[in-house]
Amino acid sequence: MIRIVARNIIRFFVVILIQVLVLDNVLLGGYLNPYFYILFILLLPFETPRWLLLVAGFLLGISIDLFTNTLGMHTAATVFLAFVRPWVLSLFAPRDGYEPDSFPRIHYYGLSWFAAYAAILTFLHHFVLFYIEVFHFQYFFSTLLRVLLSTILTTSTIILSQYFIFRK
Amino acid sequence: MRGLLWLLRKYNYILVFIFLETVAIILLSNHNLYQHSILVNANREITGNLYESIEGAREYLNLRQNNEILVRENARLRNRLERLENSIPDSLSMDFTTGNYFYTPAKIVHSTHFKQFNYLTINKGRKQGVTRDMAVIGEEGIVGIVLESSANFATVLPVINRDFRLSAKIRKSDFTGILQWEGASHLVANLNEIPYHAEPAIGDTIVTSGYSAVFPEGLFVGTIREFALEEGNFYRIYVDLGTDFQRLFYVNVINNFYRKEQVELENNRE
Repeated sequence: MIRIVARNIIRFFVVILIQVLVLDNVLLGGYLNPYFYILFILLLPFETPRWLLLVAGFLLGISIDLFTNTLGMHTAATVFLAFVRPWVLSLFAPRDGYEPDSFPRIHYYGLSWFAAYAAILTFLHHFVLFYIEVFHFQYFFSTLLRVLLSTILTTSTIILSQYFIFRK
Repeated sequence: MRGLLWLLRKYNYILVFIFLETVAIILLSNHNLYQHSILVNANREITGNLYESIEGAREYLNLRQNNEILVRENARLRNRLERLENSIPDSLSMDFTTGNYFYTPAKIVHSTHFKQFNYLTINKGRKQGVTRDMAVIGEEGIVGIVLESSANFATVLPVINRDFRLSAKIRKSDFTGILQWEGASHLVANLNEIPYHAEPAIGDTIVTSGYSAVFPEGLFVGTIREFALEEGNFYRIYVDLGTDFQRLFYVNVINNFYRKEQVELENNRE
């Protein structure tokens, strides 16, 4: 138990550092922004209570906001992500539920399961984030395009990371 | 009660969610100028419409008073017309092209008068040609300056706001000072920086100076209530405001056609 908590806390800082120090400095045209840091929320254990998920989302979002000087933007999107995660998890649940002592990762549930899970949550997060950024529906379709392209990029980064840094 | 507690326990995460999202939106609005401006505009439209319907009901209670004000204004305008007609031999010699100002009547739908930073909301906005930095006057004196406008409403910075500054002068002697408000009473403002040799007297009329290109020259502001000589050889003059903000219902917004030109010229010189 203590080990799981400690690992998650360390992961919290690692994703923030990767996001702020590396990915925020990689410029891939105006349409592509990978927001890798949401991996932290995706990898939290199945049994995490909902309120704790929300608080974790809030802390994560506000930390990113403090670095990018966009106070409130990532916070709103990440709290929303934490809010919908339980529903998405129950949507993709195996017939007899998630096994005890397992975590939402490729290692336990396979690539296709993880890819679908990550893609849906990433899309929801990016949708909220990008529309808060433009803040009106005037450029609805160009924003939607940015959402879709960035979702693909973020999801691939997250899946790749499962093979390299956060294996277990 | 039991059921309520049970509901709260079961769905407490929704409360947590709403709370955290609210915090995020507040942060967003307070720290990001662009999102802030959109929220404020949307808010002005919504509250403006709400206040307008409340004000509609309140209007009936003040009908008698408004009638009186309108009758008085009618009489004043009739007198002016009479004088003007007498001074013009025939209509051919009248010149209609010299009007620099256009008046838009508007109704106040919301106002505060007992705070330090008071604001008014009027029911005319961009669609009716009301934009930033236009002057607002009432029947009994100046009211304020348009601060922001949305499609159908505008916020006015009135004289009784501590951020308000306007150049005004004593009509008798043409000495110019700065009109501002110090938050004590909504009936009294201050005229500062009048030099000691101006020799003001109680009851002297204060009018706008017209230097700022917002207000035309010579609009009634108020009368001198009392004055005292300050250190540095300046007078500190207390002005009884002509406008009683508590009884103000209708205003006129003044659009100065040449304001843009004047401001551009002045900016070029700097």
